[in-house]
Order: sequence, then C-alpha cells, then structure tokens
Amino acid sequence: MKRETLSAYSYLLPFLTVFGIFLAFPVVYSIWISLHKVTLTTNLYHVFSDMKFAGLANYKEIWNNVEFWWSLIVTILYMILTIPTGIFLSMILAVLLNQKIKWASFFQSAYFLPNILDMLVIGLIWKFMYSPDGLFDTFFMKIGIDFFHETGFLGNPWTALPAIAMAMVLKGAGFGMVLFLTALKNISPNIFEAADLDGLTWWQKFRYIQAPLLKPIVLFLAITGTMACLNAFTEFYIMTEGRPISTFLGETVGVTKITGYYLFEKFTQIKYGYAAAMSYFLFVFALIISYINYRWLREKG
Amino acid sequence: MMRLQMKKGMLYAALIAFALFSLMPLFFMVLTAMKQEGMAMKMQFIPDGPLETLYTFKNFTEVLFNKDFPFFKFFLNSVIVAGLTALLSTFICLLAGYAFARKNFPLKNFLFSILLSAMMVPGMIFMVPQFAIITNFGWMDTLAALVIPHTANIFGVFLLRQSIEKIPNSLFEAAEVDGAGDWQLMRYVVIPLVSPILLTLILLTFLGQWSNFLWQLIVNTPSSDWLTLPVGLALFKGQYSIAWEKMMAAACYSVFPVVILFIFLQKYIISGLTQGGVKE
Repeated sequence: MKRETLSAYSYLLPFLTVFGIFLAFPVVYSIWISLHKVTLTTNLYHVFSDMKFAGLANYKEIWNNVEFWWSLIVTILYMILTIPTGIFLSMILAVLLNQKIKWASFFQSAYFLPNILDMLVIGLIWKFMYSPDGLFDTFFMKIGIDFFHETGFLGNPWTALPAIAMAMVLKGAGFGMVLFLTALKNISPNIFEAADLDGLTWWQKFRYIQAPLLKPIVLFLAITGTMACLNAFTEFYIMTEGRPISTFLGETVGVTKITGYYLFEKFTQIKYGYAAAMSYFLFVFALIISYINYRWLREKG
Repeated sequence: MMRLQMKKGMLYAALIAFALFSLMPLFFMVLTAMKQEGMAMKMQFIPDGPLETLYTFKNFTEVLFNKDFPFFKFFLNSVIVAGLTALLSTFICLLAGYAFARKNFPLKNFLFSILLSAMMVPGMIFMVPQFAIITNFGWMDTLAALVIPHTANIFGVFLLRQSIEKIPNSLFEAAEVDGAGDWQLMRYVVIPLVSPILLTLILLTFLGQWSNFLWQLIVNTPSSDWLTLPVGLALFKGQYSIAWEKMMAAACYSVFPVVILFIFLQKYIISGLTQGGVKE
C-alpha cells in the first residue's frame, strides 16, 4: 500500500471508527431490529439478545395504526405552524436590522440568544407561562378573557399545538434572521442607488433585488425546519407529553403526540422493533417532504 | 422630516418590542427563580412591602445541594460531558479534515459522498440502534456512552476540510522544504491558521451536547452517576411539579453559562452556524 494512503487512513481512523460504529452501522442494524419483536421474557438491559424474528409484522402494524397516522398529521400541522411563520418572522427581523440603526448588534444578540439555549429549559419556562394562572392566563383574566383559565394553553386541544409552535418559532427565529442578514449585507449599495434613480418603491426594491437573493436561504430553512419537525421531541416531552386527549377516526389519540414523541413512547414501552420500523416511515416521509420543498421552491423561480 | 422621525420611532418600537418578547422567557425564569417559597404561582413581580417579602436568593443554593437532586453534580456532569465531547470531537474532525484536504487516497470521493448522505438521515433513525449498541457494550450509565457516539461530527469534517483547503499551498511547500512532517505541518501551519474554526466547532459541539436531552435521558438510568442538567431537571419536574421557583433556579444554571459564552464569543458561534446556510 502506498505510504500516503496509509497515513491518510491513519488520520481518518478515529473519525471513521466512531462514524462506522455509531452512524453507518446503526442505519443497517436498525433495519434488522425493525424485523424483530421483543418477547415477554426480555430483560430490560439485554433486550436485543432475545428478540424474535417477526418479518414485516411491525411495518404492517404501523401501517394499520390510526395513532401513528395521527402522529404524522400532527407532524405536518407542526411543520405548517412553525416553518412559514419562522421564515417570515426571521426575514422581517433581518430587513428591520438591515437599516441604519443604533444598537443593531444588541438587537441582533437579543433575537439570536434563545436559539442556542437548552430546548428543555426553554420548554419548561413556556410550560409555566402557559399554565392555568400562569403569566398569559393571568394577563387574559385581567382583560376579561377566561377562555384559557380552566386548562391553560397547553391543556386545550385547539391551542396546545399552536402554543408549542409559537414558543419554538420565537426560539428559532434568530437563526434564520442571521442567515438573511448576512445575505442582505452582501448586496452592493450601488444597486440600491441605481434603483433609487429609477424611482423604485420600497416593495419593488425588496421584490426585485433582495428577494431573489434570499431564496436559497428560504430553501435551506425549509429543509432544516422540516428535519427539526421530524425530530421534534424535547419540546413535546417537557410541555405536553402528547396531551390533551381527543379522538380521531374512533381512536383515542393525543392531540400533540407528534411522531418523534410517539416513537419515544414506544421505545420506553420497550417495543424496540416497532420504534425502529417507525423511524423508517419517518425516513421515507423526510425524503418525500424534502423533495416537495425542493421542487416547490425551484418552480417558483 | 416629521414623517421620517415617526418612521424611525416606529422602527425602534418594533425592535424593542420584539427584543422584550424574545427575552421574556429569560426574565420570567430569573424573576421566578428568586421568588419566596409558594409565591411562584402568584404572577406578582412588584412586592407589596419590602423586597424580601417576595424575593430571595436561597433557591439558587438550595437546588445546588438538594439531597435527591444535587444540581451542582448535574451541572458538573454537563460541563464534563459537553466539554469532553467538544474537545474530542474537534480533534478527530481536525485529523479527518486534514486527510480529506491534503491527501489522496483510494475511496476518497466515495467516503465523502457517504458522509454527505448520512447528514440527510433524520436523527430519530439512530435512537434505537445506538441504544442497542450501548447496551451491548455494557456502557449504560457511563461517561463513554454520553461522549463517544457524538464525537463523529460530519459537519465538523466538512468545515475543517474546507478551511484547510483554503490555506495557500506555498505555506505547506515552504514547511516541507524545511523538512516538516505531517505532525509539524499540523502544529505550525494548520492549527494556527484554522484556530478560529476550531474554536467555533468546540463551541457549537459544546452547546449541542449541553442540550442533548433525549440521548442523555435514554442512556442514563434514574440512579446513574452521570445525570446531566436537562435530565436532572426533567426528573425533578416529575417529582416536584409544584416547586416552580426551585425548577427555575435550576434552569438558571443551564442558561447562565450559555449566556456568558454567547456574550464573549458570539462571533464564533454565529459564524459557525451560518457557514452551512450562506456559503454553499
């Protein structure tokens, strides 16, 4: 073997070892697990040693499981609630901050900071603010609205998911804002001077100069946002644990039981094969959504 | 002129309003953490009498050394887990990035495309099999389980490969003429020139692991010695769901270090996060 090859692989060795064991192998191993079921005698910490081969039984069960399809609907609703609003809000913030203002870096920091804080902690704070007699309920009671008083925002089937979405949009908006702002700052001022000479309005300038440059960022945010919704777990774990309860096609479902949380729930019930199979449904779903995102944004320009 | 000033005024009003809204959870957390016992649920922030009737600092010390939920220990665990992962991961990504940037070897492009496609797999796929591997290794409740699986950071390899490739070849050649081997090139050429990127990666990995709740939850049993801050907080909530002032005090210990890092090093954090979005 060539010396260069040998030295290259010795540099790659630590990375490839971890990558191989904990990222590449699991994708294949997970398929194997998804074809198995745990038995009644399973030991909690050696579960994987005495599982029984079950073929595609897990996949069939999931296909016929109303609760699973409901969880996918929750995922889609969560995507609709968080992604467009998040992109819109971060774009507005970037446009506002892109003008000559004092304290610009303070505002930028204030908007960005929540983005890197621990999701569990942020979720916990919002849960408290949303609770009955919490900050928001107290405010609404003061102005004479007692609609949220009985259950709080997270206990009401109509407001629970939007409430989580609002908390997460506020947490995440700073990320998109920074991306948009970087792109806006890269536009040469000469173009705007020319546009001013031509008498373009504020909207025309945005529409014809800035918007086209922001499109790749919109696509990027749509894809990362989709991924975040498919992996959404912590905010649901801490804020609602899938509640409140409602019915869907005659089955009892958790209104906010998003697929990521539902998968975790199956995992804690030591239905490992079932959870693994479900993650492949998620994978296919991820591919479809990414493709739609990509096509949709391509067509629009 | 008047109209222009009105417009400016409205702009600032909007900026300030959103800043307040964005930081509201943090203000709320800090104020609640300082409430006297039993006062957290009263949404009162201005005391009727002297300040001590409503506020106190004792929650901050009480949660640190709580018998069942020693947050001081959880905090140290989080620092160790996130810090160790950040250093280890950045180191092995530097080695891998160096190989991809400076060496030719068989399967190079193939490997690189494998890494690219692995980034598109939703994280939930990894949960069950990674957990299975950890139990097979007998790594439950260990530091290794919390650290090792997250040291292969694909984004880190891309970032480092890209920045090492940007180093002018003449620098490497000059050093090679002087007889420098790989390690000396790394020590005297690569590391000094990519040190901002290394700092960025260390910070981002630290922040990521500081809040990697799901993984830390599943590889720790409730009696583990390696419970981290978010896991401790989640278990605490399960047991004392009424003690909001204590919970918020514990939450402060998760937020403050991040705020401090952010205040001093935000340039590095933001530049790292925007790399993926704008440049490609």
